[in-house]
Amino acid sequence: MRSFLLVSVAAVLALAAGLPAASGPATPAPRPGGTLIIGRGVDSVTLSPYASASPDAEVISHVAETLYQLTPEGRIEPLLAERLPHVSPDGRSMTIPLRRGIRFHDGTPFDATAVKWNFDFILNPENRAPFRAILLGEVTSVDVVDAYTVRLNLRRPFVPLLAHLTHDFLAIHSPTAVQRAGGMRPPTGEPYGRQPVGTGPFRFREWVRGDRIVLERNPDYWGPRKPFLDQVVFRAIPDDGARVLALEGGQIHVAVRVPPRETTRLALNRALRIDRTSSVRTIYIAFNNQKPPFTDARVRQAFNHAVNKRAIVQTVLGGAARVSDAPISPGIVGYSPIQPGGWPYDVERAKRLLAEAGHGGGLNVTLLHPTGRYVQDAAVAAAVQAQLRAAGINARLQTMEWAAYLSFTNQPVDRTPVEMFMLGWGTVTGDADYGLFSLFHSSQWAPAGFNRFFYRNPQVDQLLEEARAITDPARRAATYKQAMELIWRDAPWLFLHSESQVTGLRREVQGLVVHPTERVLAHTAWLAR
Amino acid sequence: MFLGTIGRVTAVWRYVLKRLLLALPVLLGVSVVVFVAIRLIPGDPAQIMAGQAATEEVVRQIRQSLGLDRPLPVQYLYFLRNVVRGDLGRSLFNGAPVVEELGQRFPRTVRLALASMVVASVIGIPAGILAATRHLSWVDTLVMLVALVGVSMPVFWLGLNLILVFSVRLQWLPAFGYETWRHLLLPSVTLGAASAAIVARMTRSAMLEVLGQDYIRTARAKGLAERVVVNRHALRNALIPVVTVLGLQLGTLLSGAVLTETVFAWPGIGRLLVDAVLARDYPIIQGATLLIAATFVALNLAVDVLYGLLDPRIRYE
Repeated sequence: MRSFLLVSVAAVLALAAGLPAASGPATPAPRPGGTLIIGRGVDSVTLSPYASASPDAEVISHVAETLYQLTPEGRIEPLLAERLPHVSPDGRSMTIPLRRGIRFHDGTPFDATAVKWNFDFILNPENRAPFRAILLGEVTSVDVVDAYTVRLNLRRPFVPLLAHLTHDFLAIHSPTAVQRAGGMRPPTGEPYGRQPVGTGPFRFREWVRGDRIVLERNPDYWGPRKPFLDQVVFRAIPDDGARVLALEGGQIHVAVRVPPRETTRLALNRALRIDRTSSVRTIYIAFNNQKPPFTDARVRQAFNHAVNKRAIVQTVLGGAARVSDAPISPGIVGYSPIQPGGWPYDVERAKRLLAEAGHGGGLNVTLLHPTGRYVQDAAVAAAVQAQLRAAGINARLQTMEWAAYLSFTNQPVDRTPVEMFMLGWGTVTGDADYGLFSLFHSSQWAPAGFNRFFYRNPQVDQLLEEARAITDPARRAATYKQAMELIWRDAPWLFLHSESQVTGLRREVQGLVVHPTERVLAHTAWLAR
Repeated sequence: MFLGTIGRVTAVWRYVLKRLLLALPVLLGVSVVVFVAIRLIPGDPAQIMAGQAATEEVVRQIRQSLGLDRPLPVQYLYFLRNVVRGDLGRSLFNGAPVVEELGQRFPRTVRLALASMVVASVIGIPAGILAATRHLSWVDTLVMLVALVGVSMPVFWLGLNLILVFSVRLQWLPAFGYETWRHLLLPSVTLGAASAAIVARMTRSAMLEVLGQDYIRTARAKGLAERVVVNRHALRNALIPVVTVLGLQLGTLLSGAVLTETVFAWPGIGRLLVDAVLARDYPIIQGATLLIAATFVALNLAVDVLYGLLDPRIRYE
């Protein structure tokens, strides 16, 4: 048996220390009690394993726990598992010891049977759990070894699975509670999905759709760090301006997604604090790599030279982003910087490359972008357009409402009219595999996968396949680095930036964690006087 | 006299019944148009539900499980059959029964709309009377100017400013939520402002017209106090067009004041509908549109019946 060495021993100790990423200067001892109100733009859809977005994940994370957790620094630590798993020598099974003496909120004991029940439910194709293929695609079956040990059997060695087990959509729910609620039906896990029962520091209390979700403290929480707050309330306040005003007026304690234009003003308010935490969401403009002129790498590289990414981050995004220096962002297992500062901004070089490729006389392209999906997306597209003009590239902007946009950019290679389009990708599993394989492997061409820009490099394919089976973290990281260097040079994207989450907090909020996976976590938060 | 009243009451009921029967084809038409239109716009609900990362296989499965792979006419007939049974289906997005969602959201919008109507009437009608009785004076000019501003003011601008003053600076009223009457004040003023302005303008012009009539001159010639002339003789007649405007305004307010509901995080039917359109949540869109259409039909009918009560010369045919 080989042990996973993805994390250091010190990392495990950090669990006990807590991770107050968003807390302010040194403060007195935590004060128990009180209700924390978090204002966010959208409501959750479901709080069951049928969840599919971060507004679901952040609520689930308070109620139901996963076997492992991903720290904001990108380390993997045991949560409901007792320690890191043991992987068999052939890499095809993963044995996980579980913590003992834990009960779900409804009194059901947490054990290997409960874990197997949860995974079996997701694995059953008839249940149509949306993230089955992405998170558990390589798992064939789950065995109960003894009351507190489970074994996951794999189709082939698949190291990213450990990171997947940190995902809230694989949180362990109480099997009895699911049954008592009347089960879970696709597509959204109704009716259980409205009243989740887990082992977490907070218990579900109430959900008024479109308005609020109320959680209350779990007085019997098993963990070393008991929750301080009596209640956590997630309120849906869709209008950005109104959400910020509610924060200023003190009716909410936390406002997520504060628009960049508001930050300067809010910074002057002594009752508030602005937290900027980078996100695992990378924003890029993809080229259709199979459609001229983008079949020529020199053209794609010219575009990367022609755009001043730093200026866009500073001006359009008010500093609330980080220029991409790799296809994925920091905080993801397997990330390493490929070119610090991003592709160098060099208009002359861009012009030269275009001339070499036979486009010295200029180029006309259509740039497709969403409006309102990502921070300042339309403004970013306009800035890119303006900068491309200096290199003799005339980009026509075209926008579409999100639902139509998704379908339009998801057409097969022989039918798609798309030339360039802006999209974002959140590597929510916290593992490079999800950020690289799903996008850059040639088996993932749209509409079967998410390679909507039809990139193909056999060398990259091979490296990404290999990395899935490498258990040694250093060697695995090196393999990803090699793949990312190839991708970076091939430039199938115009690499832009990764977003920062701009969160507004009232001064009294302490110990709140804004996680790179776009979740606000109040597990160990408290309210100072 | 007595028989005449009975005859009139019967006529009213016959009229109401006839109108209700006529409403059926209207609603059917609305359902067809909505059903087809939302399916013609690009964007696949299965794709949206599955998320951008989903594979084609997953999307296909979802489409199948929702019955979206069947031919359109078949889907429509299923929909119609279920509607007749009182079943509007389930939300594609969160799986909740549409009837339940509408049942939760609509009363909140009704509360907001009625409060806004009160704001509109309480401000609009007296302002219009004032302007008409002080015709061409500075009062008249001021009222009409304020009314013009009221109509032109963007709802979100007014709403955010009210929040800024009353919630952030003065801390008198909550910025969002819908539980108590205090939550109702800011959104109903925001939503009612434009209606108040429209009602004021309508009341003014109707009053001006009535005040120029011969019977008003007669009333004045009889030596009646001006207040009696205005309130008893002029106002009742002037109110007929105002009632029409109020009825139509109420219809608009009930069909969901999307912007107001968004600014004040008021989980009503307007927001539900907009979210549903963005997510291509067909059953919700269909259910909400049908409900709104039915509301409009009912309101129009109510206004027409009210006409007769205000003006006995109007006959129900």
